[in-house]
Amino acid sequence: MTVRFGYTILYVPDVRETVAFYEAAFGMTLRFVHESSLYAELETGAVTLAFAGEEMAEMNGLAIRPQRRGDPAQAVEIALICDDPQSAWERAVAAGALPLSPPQAKPWNQIVGYVRDLNGCLVELCSDMTKPN
Amino acid sequence: MSPASSYAELPDGADPRFGIEAVWLSLAGHARTYRVLPDGRCDIILRFCASPGPIKNISVVVTGPTTAHYDVPIQPGIGFTGIRLRPGFFQTVLGFKPVALREKTLVDDAAISACPLLATLCIEADRPEALPDRLIDFVRSRIGQDHAPLPGQTRRILSAFHASSGRLPVQDIAQLHGLSARTVQRIVLDATGLPPKSYARILQFHRAMRLLRDHRLRPSEAALEAGYADQAHMTHALRRFGGLSPARLADVTLVTLRE
Repeated sequence: MTVRFGYTILYVPDVRETVAFYEAAFGMTLRFVHESSLYAELETGAVTLAFAGEEMAEMNGLAIRPQRRGDPAQAVEIALICDDPQSAWERAVAAGALPLSPPQAKPWNQIVGYVRDLNGCLVELCSDMTKPN
Repeated sequence: MSPASSYAELPDGADPRFGIEAVWLSLAGHARTYRVLPDGRCDIILRFCASPGPIKNISVVVTGPTTAHYDVPIQPGIGFTGIRLRPGFFQTVLGFKPVALREKTLVDDAAISACPLLATLCIEADRPEALPDRLIDFVRSRIGQDHAPLPGQTRRILSAFHASSGRLPVQDIAQLHGLSARTVQRIVLDATGLPPKSYARILQFHRAMRLLRDHRLRPSEAALEAGYADQAHMTHALRRFGGLSPARLADVTLVTLRE
């Protein structure tokens, strides 16, 4: 038996609106959107970042605390590795992301900034730790 | 026409753009009672005699939002077809607020007097299968070509109730959206005809039913996951809303959740 990490799925109030935001704010591209507009995947490589309409939670028999911008961020973040975190952060904020913390150098030699997306989800914009600076 | 009893939802009936959650057709082969659970939704139902030949004497029934279960006696040879409206679409389709029909059902003249256009649903039909299409056309024409989507705020508020399956206190949902509890009260009452607390309790009850019956959780686990204080609290809710006990979940029809 093998187990592989395949997806992170955010439950959002509006899938198409969220995809449009991730395209504009983070320059990501759409891989797939279901005709119902209740599910979409971004082109994110080996691990897929996907969005599901909040309706899907109920359909799947789940109960979730929906994320809203006015509420404290949930205890999870999406970390996006950027070749230029500062420019990425500025573009995200220009596209409507909530500016939380501008990119700063961390003691472990990484540049890290934070925004919240259109729904209030925490997004980290960071430099690549696997590459020497 | 099958002599056996049947209840089926049309696979292509649901159409969220027009506020249509499900379209169903039910034909009774033998006398029985059908238990209707409170689900926070309203249906427009056509009742007819399912005999060969043209369908005459079609009755129209509009069910309002309820907080208690009730049993409907079904006679053999009687067919029902219904369209279930998504929360928030009632007033656009029927022309009056769902709160006016709280804990009530309108039948025939009473329904037509409340919404005269319902009379068009009762004219003779060639065959029973034409009636679901008639309901769909009726709702679509009432919603109009613009699809009249719900106001964003109403949609998000209702979505938060559903996504959390009624587990979040009304005050929390108000805070999530930067609104007062009073405003959430008004939005939910307008859209569903029920106070938000009742609406939440019904959604919670439905999820508990699913966890027990479909996901096969133990009662203690289901109570915890559904957000009840304890198993006794859940048992009380199952009895109150469904007249059911966890040990004997009747073969009731739950709201179908799909697009």
